[in-house]
Amino acid sequence: MSAASGTVAAPSAPASSTGGMGLAAPRALARRALRDARVRTISFAYLFAILAYIQPVGYRDAYPTPSSRLAFAHGFADNKAIRLFYGVPHDLLTVSGYTAWRVGGTLAIFASVFGLLAAVRALRTEEDAGRMELVLASSVGRGTAYLSALAAIAAGVLILGLAEFAGLVLSGLPAGGSANLAAATASIVPVFVGVGALTSQLASTRRMALELGGAAVGLFLALRVIADTSANAGRLRWATPLGWAEEVRPFTGAHPIVLLLPAAATVLLLAVAARIAAGRDIGTGVLPSRESAKPRLGLLSSPTAQALRSERTSLIVWLSGIGAFAYITGALAKSTSTAGISKSLQHEVSKLGTGSIVTPAGYLAFVFIFFVLAVSLFMCAQLGAARHEEADERLETLLSLPVSRSRWLGGRLALAVAGAAAISLAAGLLTWAGAESGGVSISLVGMLGAGANCLPVAVMFLGIAALAYAIVPRASTGLSYGLVTVAFLWDLFGSLLNVPHWLVQATPFAHVGLVPAQPFRADAALLMLAIALASAIAATWIFQRRDLTGP
Amino acid sequence: MQLTPPRPDTPEVRSIANRSESAIHTDGLSKRYGTTLALDGLNLTVGKGEVYGYLGPNGSGKTTTIRLLLGLHRASSGRAELFGLDAWSDPVRAHERVAYVAGEPFLWPSLTSAETFEFLARLHHGTDVAYRDVLVERFKLDTRKKIRALSKGNRQKVQLIAALATRAELLLLDEPTSGLDPLMEVAFRDCVKEAKGRGQTVFLSSHILSEVEALCDRVGILRDGKLVDEGTLAELRHLAVQTVEVTFAGDAPELPALAGVHVQSAGPNALRFEVSGGVGPLIAALAEHPVTTLTSRELSLEEIFLHHYEGSDGHVGG
Repeated sequence: MSAASGTVAAPSAPASSTGGMGLAAPRALARRALRDARVRTISFAYLFAILAYIQPVGYRDAYPTPSSRLAFAHGFADNKAIRLFYGVPHDLLTVSGYTAWRVGGTLAIFASVFGLLAAVRALRTEEDAGRMELVLASSVGRGTAYLSALAAIAAGVLILGLAEFAGLVLSGLPAGGSANLAAATASIVPVFVGVGALTSQLASTRRMALELGGAAVGLFLALRVIADTSANAGRLRWATPLGWAEEVRPFTGAHPIVLLLPAAATVLLLAVAARIAAGRDIGTGVLPSRESAKPRLGLLSSPTAQALRSERTSLIVWLSGIGAFAYITGALAKSTSTAGISKSLQHEVSKLGTGSIVTPAGYLAFVFIFFVLAVSLFMCAQLGAARHEEADERLETLLSLPVSRSRWLGGRLALAVAGAAAISLAAGLLTWAGAESGGVSISLVGMLGAGANCLPVAVMFLGIAALAYAIVPRASTGLSYGLVTVAFLWDLFGSLLNVPHWLVQATPFAHVGLVPAQPFRADAALLMLAIALASAIAATWIFQRRDLTGP
Repeated sequence: MQLTPPRPDTPEVRSIANRSESAIHTDGLSKRYGTTLALDGLNLTVGKGEVYGYLGPNGSGKTTTIRLLLGLHRASSGRAELFGLDAWSDPVRAHERVAYVAGEPFLWPSLTSAETFEFLARLHHGTDVAYRDVLVERFKLDTRKKIRALSKGNRQKVQLIAALATRAELLLLDEPTSGLDPLMEVAFRDCVKEAKGRGQTVFLSSHILSEVEALCDRVGILRDGKLVDEGTLAELRHLAVQTVEVTFAGDAPELPALAGVHVQSAGPNALRFEVSGGVGPLIAALAEHPVTTLTSRELSLEEIFLHHYEGSDGHVGG
């Protein structure tokens, strides 16, 4: 035995040198993953920093006196409509309390989306594309590959936390509380990285992993909404990671101990995912994926029909997600009333860029600006799917057939508009149904009008996204999402800043007549549709003149 | 060695006559990607009913040529026509007469093969369903399987069957047998021969020489984006050299230098000669040595190919 170990002692020198390589490989993998994620990480970091900076500065500016803050707080303390999106405010009389509520509540949602995207990108997309096989065929083990991917994501989480912290401190808030708030927001990311890691093990394709993870994000958000808006449901906040971040209560009596909850959940989720990852075949998921099927020949008659066929799952997800949200917001309409709210307060509230929210109609109109956003994002997703068809070179297969480029692109755009129309009208219809069920009587036609009112802006963004797709195909998806996000945030927060009025109005969202509280703005809608049409025509013209562009 | 140099002297009249009869015609076709010149002044004419082999190593511009022919990429200069229709400005009409098999099978992962066939057939009118069933049988494809569950070779079969079943006038095949096993390659060759028998034109891009040798009437050789040679197999051989391998009873002897003969050692008691021109002087020189075996053969396309891509280092006397 000792002789044997003596004989194997000789090759131990190269073995120890691979031990040195043992760190080189994960480092290279992590660096690669960080590089892959750089655009997303940087965009989110900007978003976190800017939001963290703008909110306290804007609040201080808009409500400089204790009395104005008191009026503001009074209006908001019991307004469930507002809580729907930002959570429960614990202290609206101080800059820091307001910030904890507004920044924390908003960024929590972005943090969950970031975590999911990062995890699925690193742990399923790589495998789906077959690259993971290549990595694992080298001397890198599964555990190493998994941990390298997580290390890269951890670096991303750190960057987001630091960005938020920097924004808060620069706005003049104390460092301690800022650190608490940044930690609370950042703590949400790893939990959803865990969720994404788990769905990446369950699903065998990137798309399915994202859909499952998206459903989880939606569920946890719905739990937070219920906890924050329903009487006696506050305990439910402990059932959702988005609620944990609220319970940290940065600035307003912080409980950093609550951060142990997301930490524990993260460890648990990642451990389960790692366990599954270690035991399954590469390229497969735990959920069965059907390999054979009887031919179903519907929706194959044209490229557009086939696009509908491949997009129908995501269309159903969008429809049911927005529909459910519309129903809930409708049902909550009753909680808004004008009782005891003065005209001057309504003016104060309107500084938030949200219009009058103290009547059911005003509240629903305010909610619909979020549906305008959602439908615009749906347009980005549709254009993204079209771009994906090209990046995966299936478009080459299509266009080598007697299919013209204008027919293909026109069909995809028409499909996007039709899908958006369906979603918008469903939002209107279900908001009405929700309001009726809550005992608030409101005009069905008016709510359908509010739904249809989502379309001009969304169609304009589709046109612009199409133009981006034609000119810079590779960057188009990120550009269109970025444009919609920035335009929307500018509408919400631009009014808080000391900038000229025309600059505040420089976002299309500022020109949506908030139906049903305000009249439909036909002039703005027509202009947006004209821009959409011109962009779409230009996009088709340019697309017909460029090379197809691979991944 | 240039068999068909660019024909500056070709009268315009003849070129127009050619074009109306040709399936593929390109005129100074060039494509530049950034600073890379992927295709450099390609002049190519493939007649109707012809099986044309398009040979070149990876990165020589074969796929670029096909993308330009299909109007998927736009030529930097020059033009390409299919059946006299401009490939870039009139792609849809041209594609009605064309079927294409890409080097990589890019299909819809969630569709089964049967659904893929249905979809592609709806987009390309004139698919022969009976012939498609024959092909499915011949290529032994399980059409109930989803594309994502198929191996690369099987996905390649789906593409091939869909293209062949259209019975299009022109088949544009970009390395169509990559991923196919040898039995399926045989099936593929049978299909191409059938297509030729029906009068279809086949443009076969490949780096597999035996395939081109077995199927093609005419061959073009592409190198660094330039068509360096073109001709029938007979024409290419005409200019080619012969290989003579000789083994001796003892050690291989030292032979005097002979004009047009290049000597290589082929083992301790064997020599290989590459001979351009007659073999008489070599036979005379060998007569006084103890030759045990002597084999002579024509250059394979492989060797012609190597000759072009090895550069002119004098192996065959350039």
